[in-house]
Amino acid sequence: MELTFSYNWLQSFFEKRLPKPEELADVLMMHFAEVSEIKKKGHDFLLDIDIKPSRAPDCLSHLGIAREIAAILNIKYKILDTKLAGDKKLKAKDFISIEVKDKMACPRYTARVITNVKVGPSPKWLKDRLIVCGLRPINNVVDIANYVMLETGQPLHAFDADKLEGRKIIVRFAKEREKIVTLDEQKFNLDSDVLVIADVKKPVAVAGIKGGKFPEIDNKTKTVILESANFNLRVIRHSSQKLKLKTDASIRFEHGLDPNLTEFAIDRESYLIQKIAGGRIAQGLIDIYPRKVSARIVKLNLNYLESLLGIKIAKNEAIKILERLGFNVLRSAANSVSVRVPTRRLDVSLPEDLIEEIGRIHGYDKIPAVFPISSLIPPKENLDIFWENITKDILKEAGFTEVYNYSFFGEKEAALFGYKEKELIEVENPLSQEYQYLRTTLIPNLLKNIEKNFRDFQKIKIFELGKIFKAPSSEKRQLAGLALGEEFQYLKGIIDSLLEKLGISGVWYDEYQATPEESKQLIWHPKKCAEIKFNNEEIGFLGEVSPRILDELDIKGKVILFDIDFEKLSQLTSEEHEYRPLSRYPSAVRDIAVLVPRNVRVAEVLNKIYDIGKELIRDVELFDIYEGEELPYGKKNLAFHIIYQAQDRTLSPKEIDELQGKIIKILEKEPEWQVRK
Amino acid sequence: MVKISLKTLKNKAKLEVEKAATSAELNEVFNKYLGKKGEITLVLSSLDKLARSKRAKIGKEANEIKRFLQDKINEKKFSFFSGASSKSREEWLDITAPGKKPVIGHLHPLTLVRRKVEDIFQSMGFSIFECPDMETEWYNFDALNIPKDHPARDQWDTFYLKNGLLLRTHTTPGDPRYMGENNPPLRIIIPGNVFRHEATDASHEFQLFQFDGLMVDKKISVANLKAIVGEFFRRFFGENTKFRLRPDYFPFTEPSFDISISCIFCRGKGCPVCKRSGWLEVAGAGMVHPNVLKNSGFIPKEWQGWAFGFGLERLAMLKYKINDIRLFRSGDLRFLQQF
Repeated sequence: MELTFSYNWLQSFFEKRLPKPEELADVLMMHFAEVSEIKKKGHDFLLDIDIKPSRAPDCLSHLGIAREIAAILNIKYKILDTKLAGDKKLKAKDFISIEVKDKMACPRYTARVITNVKVGPSPKWLKDRLIVCGLRPINNVVDIANYVMLETGQPLHAFDADKLEGRKIIVRFAKEREKIVTLDEQKFNLDSDVLVIADVKKPVAVAGIKGGKFPEIDNKTKTVILESANFNLRVIRHSSQKLKLKTDASIRFEHGLDPNLTEFAIDRESYLIQKIAGGRIAQGLIDIYPRKVSARIVKLNLNYLESLLGIKIAKNEAIKILERLGFNVLRSAANSVSVRVPTRRLDVSLPEDLIEEIGRIHGYDKIPAVFPISSLIPPKENLDIFWENITKDILKEAGFTEVYNYSFFGEKEAALFGYKEKELIEVENPLSQEYQYLRTTLIPNLLKNIEKNFRDFQKIKIFELGKIFKAPSSEKRQLAGLALGEEFQYLKGIIDSLLEKLGISGVWYDEYQATPEESKQLIWHPKKCAEIKFNNEEIGFLGEVSPRILDELDIKGKVILFDIDFEKLSQLTSEEHEYRPLSRYPSAVRDIAVLVPRNVRVAEVLNKIYDIGKELIRDVELFDIYEGEELPYGKKNLAFHIIYQAQDRTLSPKEIDELQGKIIKILEKEPEWQVRK
Repeated sequence: MVKISLKTLKNKAKLEVEKAATSAELNEVFNKYLGKKGEITLVLSSLDKLARSKRAKIGKEANEIKRFLQDKINEKKFSFFSGASSKSREEWLDITAPGKKPVIGHLHPLTLVRRKVEDIFQSMGFSIFECPDMETEWYNFDALNIPKDHPARDQWDTFYLKNGLLLRTHTTPGDPRYMGENNPPLRIIIPGNVFRHEATDASHEFQLFQFDGLMVDKKISVANLKAIVGEFFRRFFGENTKFRLRPDYFPFTEPSFDISISCIFCRGKGCPVCKRSGWLEVAGAGMVHPNVLKNSGFIPKEWQGWAFGFGLERLAMLKYKINDIRLFRSGDLRFLQQF
């Protein structure tokens, strides 16, 4: 998370002059964290530093950044003054008692009491520092609590002792239907997930997040109770999410904080209050800290350090870096060191963590680039990607443009295309209704692409190869494409040449028999759609989009679509390809034109021709289909080139004439078929 | 008599060559004069019937005419062949007029960039591993050492699905998935769609294409990471591309790095694209965290490795100088047909 730091404030930790703000930012970026912006403000500079979650526990504070600067630049930083002059006549215990109900939720609660404070405005220097860091000054006691939080990272709170009922503070989870009004007059309904600070009667603060209005410090406040506590990160995170309330305090707690910080921070706060607002500090720190957290010891093997970073760092150097960062080196053997980790470093528990510390301070730029020494294991060929690439290339060469669409669609599309709730995978937290479901088909988004482009392009040919999703939890690759301003035969030809180049033979087209329970039926034009089949398995569809859908989407013109299961298709692909010997004998071409009823399929005519010619016909090309006024009603004319060729001899004109004659005879056997001569 | 007729013959033939408009006509002229029974041929073949005194002179003259006609005919033939008739030498071709391109489609820029990335890594021995877009909490977060209920998880804004899965926020789940089923040493890259629950603008998109990389062996170091990553960026952006590692944080690597390359627009001098820093952040990387190795069934002390990840859109935007990330999934042909 990004936090703003004052350059002047950071400077106050050092006797020596720090590098200029830009140079300081560079140093921090190379060894610590990203500085996203430097802004000049009055005589100060503000540094926006992106503190990563791992360093939030110890670096969401000026002290934390000062420690980093000291370690990187190898200079000393000043220890903050916390020396208190306690009043022997007053005992903190006489003013307040503390009870922590849940020790997991609140591992430590420390409090101090200060009497006879003079609440009033803060001095200018203090106000200025709060303002540059984005906080609004209120009064000296509240301001000091905020100031010490920005300084040390420990969130603090102050209560007016006279406003608490029963001279008691209880840390507990809220009861159902309890309410609180916070300092900024917001009302919240609480429940048993929210940890609160309460007096004997009611919640007076949302623990670790925000104080309540009721016991706030005002100009009449004489006695203050200071709270410096440590709360469980998950408890605060839950409360904060539940109440939708994020504060400077909650952000710090939800990342985790060192319980050992509370005492130092409350002493610093008390010291400043006494200095600025006067008052008498009651003797005794009230401290509920049942399970003291002690420092971890981590052992680091220096050979491992070298092996992981790929650079040798001398033991002395490594030790010095760790000490600069506040680690204690307890023992050091020939090739290893034992290190005591300061408790503020919640992120360090493994040797790798220490290696990172040594590496970044030493400088990653000092690590050389060395190619790995490794067995020569050839990479596995990824056939999925291989066939995807070939498919895309073929379609590209055929004039199609590849699109990438979102993997989502909305309720509108689901309904339009007839998908039922139970087939769909719904997004729990969609960005908008437009993206409420994972797409079960590529088609709706492809049709949307037409909407996007039809003003600029008369002809559109696009395709997508991407994932589709189906309830409960399956996903697979699908290939779909469309052509606007073309005929069915055109796209069929594209599919045929795609199949040919993928080495797939044996695919055929079947007339689409819509079954009412199928969602797909709504997509296709009922009379102008083919199922693409291999053996008896359907692998895709080819046809016109239903006019109903085009109407609904306001698309003008004819749209031909193909939609192929790419998982099935890629199972059929083959790189094997066998050459067919070229015939040494000449071929001869004869044309034939047949007048047939409109509903006769070309395939029927072709089959009859091949049946007669068998291996003596190399190819039959349909070169014209004609339906027109000059023809008798309900008829069409089909014209073919028949290419005769034998593998073993030259066909004589006589032989060819005979074959052609037989073909004509067979064709004319059909009632209403007429060969035109 | 013969002399006159030879001269006349020459002029007549010359005229006919000039008049010939097609190469067929030209052939006719050739046959008429120089063919087997052509007039000049006949003169030459009947020389021995002439008096000795005339023979040499007429023979010489006839041969000259023959050569002359042959040259004329060849010249004319050539002019037919090359398409420019001798009459219209001034004809020319405007070679600056645009050529007629065959209609070829276009691959998506992300496909082009993706292929380049895959080629580079495959040439360095990396296999390509793919895994699902719908992922479990375990692989997307827990196995990667990203704790539940921790702000660290907030770095990945996540789409959750009603079937109990989520849309992967990165391709890093491929690391534990692959390691769970393959023995080291290993070298893979993992391409795929990733999803981030965030508002879109010119530089933010909720669906992206990402690559992760992973190398695990006995002694794999940061130095090795630098070598491979450096090689990749030099091959991708050009030989002069420099890069640097800076500290960063990812729960699944320790130590973790941010990888920046020298700005390809200003060569590191500082410009608006690199915000005057001279550097562009392009990837994240680090040494695989021991908890991730453990969660994948490896013994951390025996194996070590590095991982990296980068967004393909970012690389494509830099490579083609694209200024709006939303163009990639806009389906706008004015954009797509530029590639």
